[in-house]
Amino acid sequence: MELLILNGLANGLIVGGIYALVGVSLTLLYGVLRVVNFAHGEFVIAGSFFAFVLFSTLKIPPLLAVPLAAVAFFAAGWLLYYVLIPRLARSDDPELMSFLMFYGVSIAAAALMLLLFEADSRSIDFTFTPISVQIGPIYISTARLVALAITIVISIALALFLFRTLPGKALRAAIMNPEAIQIMGVDIVRLSAFAFALASSLAGVTGVLVALVFPAFNPFSGAEYTIIAFIVVVLGGLGNPVGALLAGVVFGLAEQMATVFLPQALAQIVGFVILVGTIFLRPSGLLGTRFRR
Amino acid sequence: MSAIEARGLTKRFGGLVALDGVDLRAGPGETLGIIGVNGAGKTTLMNCICGLYRPDAGDVLVGGERVTGQPPHVIAHHGVGRTFQVPRVFRKMSLIDNLLVPVLDRPASDSELIGRAEAMLERMQLIELRHNYAEELSGGQQKLLEMARMLMPDPAIVMLDEPFAGVHPVLCKFMIERIEETARAGKVVLLISHDLTSIYRLSSRVMALNQGRVIAEGGVDDIRGNPAVIEAYLGT
Amino acid sequence: MASPSRAADSADRIYFTLVALIGGALLAYFAAVPVLGLNVAFHFYLMLWITMASAFNVASGFAGYMPFGYVAFYGVGAFTTAILVKKAAFPLFLALPLSGVAGLVLALLFAPTLRLSGIYFGIVSLALAGICRLAITNMPEEITGGSFGLQLGSRAQPLQSFYVMMAVMVLALATILWLSRSRLGKALRATRDDAEAADMMGVNVPLVRLYGWLISAFFPAVCGGVEAWYTNVVDTETAFNTLITAKTVIYAVAGGLGTVTGPIIGAVAMVWLDELIWRQFPLLNLLILGVATVILVLFLPRGIVGTVLRRKPHWRRYVP
Ligand SMILES: Nc1ncnc2c1ncn2[C@@H]1O[C@H](COP(=O)(O)OP(=O)(O)OP(=O)(O)O)[C@@H](O)[C@H]1O
Ligand SMILES: [Mg+2]
Repeated sequence: MELLILNGLANGLIVGGIYALVGVSLTLLYGVLRVVNFAHGEFVIAGSFFAFVLFSTLKIPPLLAVPLAAVAFFAAGWLLYYVLIPRLARSDDPELMSFLMFYGVSIAAAALMLLLFEADSRSIDFTFTPISVQIGPIYISTARLVALAITIVISIALALFLFRTLPGKALRAAIMNPEAIQIMGVDIVRLSAFAFALASSLAGVTGVLVALVFPAFNPFSGAEYTIIAFIVVVLGGLGNPVGALLAGVVFGLAEQMATVFLPQALAQIVGFVILVGTIFLRPSGLLGTRFRR
Repeated sequence: MSAIEARGLTKRFGGLVALDGVDLRAGPGETLGIIGVNGAGKTTLMNCICGLYRPDAGDVLVGGERVTGQPPHVIAHHGVGRTFQVPRVFRKMSLIDNLLVPVLDRPASDSELIGRAEAMLERMQLIELRHNYAEELSGGQQKLLEMARMLMPDPAIVMLDEPFAGVHPVLCKFMIERIEETARAGKVVLLISHDLTSIYRLSSRVMALNQGRVIAEGGVDDIRGNPAVIEAYLGT
Repeated sequence: MASPSRAADSADRIYFTLVALIGGALLAYFAAVPVLGLNVAFHFYLMLWITMASAFNVASGFAGYMPFGYVAFYGVGAFTTAILVKKAAFPLFLALPLSGVAGLVLALLFAPTLRLSGIYFGIVSLALAGICRLAITNMPEEITGGSFGLQLGSRAQPLQSFYVMMAVMVLALATILWLSRSRLGKALRATRDDAEAADMMGVNVPLVRLYGWLISAFFPAVCGGVEAWYTNVVDTETAFNTLITAKTVIYAVAGGLGTVTGPIIGAVAMVWLDELIWRQFPLLNLLILGVATVILVLFLPRGIVGTVLRRKPHWRRYVP
């Protein structure tokens, strides 16, 4: 039992790190643009397929796929921003319409991946040597440890970026007060495009890590990650990046512990219950800082 | 017995005391002007009376009955109507439908109510626009629409929050006449305005608020010369 | 000036003439489908989607909510009919209304979510639909049939279920037509536009919202039941498929939220388009549905009817 719990904790941390990245990118997007990216999970899975294709055709290992995905998805996000968002802003209720539009994007993206890769589950059979590492009494696969390390590096880099650099501060300012920042002479369109690109880039990288950590993925896995992203974002407080990082880890741990202690069926429901419970009991999220709706 | 009475109303927002033990009473046919600088607590007072905010302390009585803590629609049914500082019309509904909202639970027939709504729009000179959506009105017209909507259920107490702000002088005069009519019809009028000329002209009594407290109350002449009011308005 | 009430009467005349024409055409056409030997399955689903989109319109167009977990009502309705017929040997015509009741019960359970707004409501709705699906998936196999689903046995009667679906559609459209002119409908629209202001104008906001929500939940649940009967089988994969929500939302938005005709026109146009695409490019179907949604939101956010009415505001009084 003790071993199970230790395993649960370790896996919770690893999975939680991934959830944190999934959530932080979505929350950035919502915070700056006030759009709800229903297709976020599909972006993530697209990243997994990206790594899959690189490995199976060009033998490029997943570690190298991380920076490549970051660049490719950044560019794709930048492009997608200019195709989708400016027109959206003109509708009566952009926030709700964005939900609907990305609903369409998510259907289209899943369908596209289905056309390209078929419905079978895929995995990357890249292995690290040694295949696993012993830490205390438990064994953890090297791939998972590597993923955890990358997650930590990205989180720290992101935090430094948001709190120490000028563009990062502009992003945070835009989240807290979108009207004021325009008066301050910041080009909100470029900033938004940047936020969108950054969020896409993070999603793509997260997808590569998903391919490392989880046994398999298929074109329909996206929906699961979208839900996970929503859970993390709500738990962390809508539009709050630090909250999302924390919430991702908390949720990862909760989920992994649930699989230890609860029957399979109930463990699946845990995420949904956390989501609904948070919205009703603590709508401003774990940290409780009030962010504008 | 006063038609409307507030006793020791207190409302806090976090550490900020927006209302601090405000007493208020007014009877039928009376127009009570409420003045004060920005942030004095005037709108908060109305919000507490109509039930939008739940006061932290104190009581609101309508027609002698305690309504503190009741939801807004219950208080509305006690005969309390209001307008808003920034108009809150039902944007995607026709003017007629806007006027019907406060009387939906009246037993009168639909055609009777529509007839009344049209008469009211006629009075407010909005009749030509009756089938337009409310969002298609100008700001001043929206204020008129709000006033018409407020009067539809024939409330005993009407509260007007800055009815003249941003309104063209001709329309202003028109609104002043409507307010005078309303008071003559035996209703209690609570009127917030920064336009002291209109306040002094319309009010039978004036109450001055500052930082959530009543700093002066009395007839127009008492207030006009009151040193505390002058100081609050001109600053120190 | 012309007497206002006389003008209103003539507008009403046009309105009701339109209602009679559109309603009559719909009724005559659908009633004749089996007689004329047209594709029964296609028209069955057309009526189903008209009903779903119209009922969704009550929650979204009238009340201002976006229930992204709308499929929950449909799925629970489907399983209610299947379980009652298969396991409790209920006659179908008792099971179907009980599916509607199940939808109402579920709506009552979800009623606390009505105090949420905007995307919070949408996200919670999505999560609750997920919980419903998992709950039914994990119920004992003797009740729900597990992953194989439930076969209703040899009870399929395509023609009978076709006409029952038609009756459900007529009932739904009649209800919504009534709602759009009723006082409840006006109260709902007022709460949609500004709930606090409506409250201060004497509208019992929570109650009004609950009524709208119940109407919106009843019909998809019955639809789920009828469809289970029609196809003779239910399983959680199909009965809780998020595509059902997606299609409902897209069809309703395509036509235009807030009018009675909008979702009808949207459903007819999109189901027809869907069929056309599906026949030509069966593999691209899903992709095109997604792209169509994006294009719709970007270029026709008010839907077909909504866009027309924006160009011609004075038609608003004539168009149901
Ligand atoms: N919902 C709220 N949340 C937090 N603070 C509030 C809220 N409503 C009012 N306040 C604060 O209460 C104080 C009084 O506000 P109120 O709106 O009553 O002022 P006012 O007298 O109507 O001013 P004005 O003439 O500018 O309309 C202000 O300091 C305001 O910031
Ligand atoms: Mg004010």
